[in-house]
Amino acid sequence: MTSVRMMLVADYERCTGCRACEVVCSFWHEREFNPRRSRITVIRDPERGVNFPVFCVQCEDAPCVASCPTGALQKDKETGLVNLNYDLCIGCKTCVAVCPFGGVTVDPVSNKVVKCDLCGGDPQCVKFCPEEVLKYVPVTVANLMKRKKALERIPKLLEMALPRVV
Amino acid sequence: MVEVGGYTGRYLEVDLTSGKFQVKETPRAWMRNYVGGTGFAARYLWDHLSPGIDPLGPENVIVFATGPVTGTLGHATGRLAIASKAPLTGIWGESHVGGQLAPEIKYAGYDFIAITGRAEKPVYLWIDDDHVELRDASHLWGRGTRETFKLIWEDIGDESIQSAVIGPAGERLVRFANVIVDFYDAAGRTGMGAVMGSKKLKAIAVRGSKGIKVARFEEFWEVIQRIYEKATTGEWREIANDTIRGYGTPYLIDVMHSIGRLPTKNHWTGLFPEAEKINGDALKAVRISHKSCFTCFLQCKFVHHVDSGKYACTLTGGPEYEALVALGSNVMVSDLGAIIHANELCNDYGMDVISAGKVISWLMECYEKGLITEGDVGGIKPVWGDADLVIDLIHKMAKREGIGDLLAEGALRAARKIGKGTERYVIHVKGLEASAQDGRSHKSIGLAHAVNVRGADHLRGLCTYDELPWAVKYAYERFGEEEAKKMVIDDRLNPTGKGYLTWLTENFYSIVDSMITCKYGAMWPMIYYYDDFAPWLKALTGIEELGDERKLALAGERIYMLRRAFNAREGVGRKEDTLNPRFTEEPMPEGPGKGQVVELEVMLKEYYEYRGLDWETGWPKRHKLVQLGLEDVAEELASMGRLAE
Repeated sequence: MTSVRMMLVADYERCTGCRACEVVCSFWHEREFNPRRSRITVIRDPERGVNFPVFCVQCEDAPCVASCPTGALQKDKETGLVNLNYDLCIGCKTCVAVCPFGGVTVDPVSNKVVKCDLCGGDPQCVKFCPEEVLKYVPVTVANLMKRKKALERIPKLLEMALPRVV
Repeated sequence: MVEVGGYTGRYLEVDLTSGKFQVKETPRAWMRNYVGGTGFAARYLWDHLSPGIDPLGPENVIVFATGPVTGTLGHATGRLAIASKAPLTGIWGESHVGGQLAPEIKYAGYDFIAITGRAEKPVYLWIDDDHVELRDASHLWGRGTRETFKLIWEDIGDESIQSAVIGPAGERLVRFANVIVDFYDAAGRTGMGAVMGSKKLKAIAVRGSKGIKVARFEEFWEVIQRIYEKATTGEWREIANDTIRGYGTPYLIDVMHSIGRLPTKNHWTGLFPEAEKINGDALKAVRISHKSCFTCFLQCKFVHHVDSGKYACTLTGGPEYEALVALGSNVMVSDLGAIIHANELCNDYGMDVISAGKVISWLMECYEKGLITEGDVGGIKPVWGDADLVIDLIHKMAKREGIGDLLAEGALRAARKIGKGTERYVIHVKGLEASAQDGRSHKSIGLAHAVNVRGADHLRGLCTYDELPWAVKYAYERFGEEEAKKMVIDDRLNPTGKGYLTWLTENFYSIVDSMITCKYGAMWPMIYYYDDFAPWLKALTGIEELGDERKLALAGERIYMLRRAFNAREGVGRKEDTLNPRFTEEPMPEGPGKGQVVELEVMLKEYYEYRGLDWETGWPKRHKLVQLGLEDVAEELASMGRLAE
């Protein structure tokens, strides 16, 4: 049985940098509040108020999977998740080096490599995002959201398009 | 299961004179009796300061305190309490700030940091988990706050560290210098920046990698989801969207104007005809981004950029409501660009916008009334609405140049130096220039200003239930009809019951300031109360007493009373619980509060009954201190003759 795959997406422009996602992520995975152990990190520019949540985007053809020397990282074709098997992981950090997004990081306490596992299909960061920046939605919805957002940037076009689109 | 969650169980003492530091254990009894934040600071400063010391002397202590919820999941867990004996007032001084530093202190493993002594040359304190080091700050000295943050990042080589810094105003001991966190968030009031300056302490920089544990894991999840949903869904979310989340505190400009409580012309009136030029919508037009403090569920911070005109290229967080009044309506300036620029300067110099603005409005009124001449104030002509002058005076105060040197002492000291009847127009309580409220149009805030332990300010006891007609219903829901009627909550112009109301509010805010979460969420919108905080604290810490609403309220009363006792020990009591005659004798000239004055005495009498203070002297009564478990405080006050038997 197949269904449309789910996807964790971020509406970057709305992020205020409150870091609730980091706190809940560390709490869920490590049972302690410690943003430095979080699988998601908000890159903040406090001077201008610009914020980017960075996390593993579960690549289809993931460099981390391709470069993992022990096969600890595997792509699950059904769920779309890039899985990390700690029984096989040797902590070489190649995945950290090759990830183009900084989606894989090193836990400063355990020194293990960590990455987003989508909390087994119920991402906690989404539940505690007060600005609704983070969303866990079907790929189709993610596509639509992105395109609607693009329309908003062109108010005039939106005005003309709205009666037809909505 | 962890025995005690939330707390780190340790605190750090630093002596800048010897350069030595010590890590100590946070007393278990403090957790249940004083909660954290303001409570810890009050207990520590009571124990470690002698009355009569110079706030700018090396013997003063400055405390940076977190609370049990700091750095955990919950509403606004990024608050930091900074407390010391205040340079501006000579009494209890405290100022709170959001941003992201407080959680970092917890992650480094400390419930609070207490700093005393004085360094020989400028230093900054670098805390990297257990590594504590005083580093040379000579290259930072003289720099603005914004640059200092960046230079510290460069120095350490890590942009993820958080700092609290002072600017040139703190270095030059401007008595209302503040401490800035995360670029624009200010611990504004009472001159905490001057205390750091006097110690030659330019900044505190922290990196922490330790986790905070929770006592009851499953229970915490349940409680915290409730706390989260309460603020982010339904009615409260809608209210937040229209007010604090949609506009930040500037939304208050319209609200306060509508109830005739928008301080204008040195608090002369409560209406500003040009309010719409400086309101939330006006600011929205120059907004560039939406910002937040750590794990806030309400999100009220905005960054503004002025891109054209005289003040082009101004970039700053805020101005908040208080700055829009202090640097706007109260000095009759309606040029938003000028206000934003003045706000940026205050942030960068590290200077309280409220006191800075109120010093200027005092000067303007004295000039208008002919009490001072240009010769008295270094040749300047302080007339209402002169935005250039406001900006010029901000530079002069921060640099202590010319007349700025005198004004940097605060309005009350400056007035006493100048004389000529100018003191009559200093709108202050206990030496702290008043924040942007007016008790004539809202009686309970008149009392709250008069009795506030840090001086004329709203953040220790402003009640919002009686403030707006449509907020009244929440008081009925929360307290029940009998209690609401007892406080005459429906009538903000009626002084009856407001003593009780203010006492109740102060006790509650003591808990807010100690756990620590934000007034936004507790004060406005009034989403949370003891019935939310008690289960939250219990699940987090596992401490039974903190989970008991009645005991939690009693802890709030204890924390408030301890600060009151701190002031009594400094000789400050009944005669200082007063207001400027502007509020008690001059009727409000116009608007919804027209003809009203603050009936202070009747409210004060009721308040003293509940607070357990002697009517003649204002000293705490022994039985009240004993009831609160403050026997040792009673003994010390008794030995000084400042206890009412």
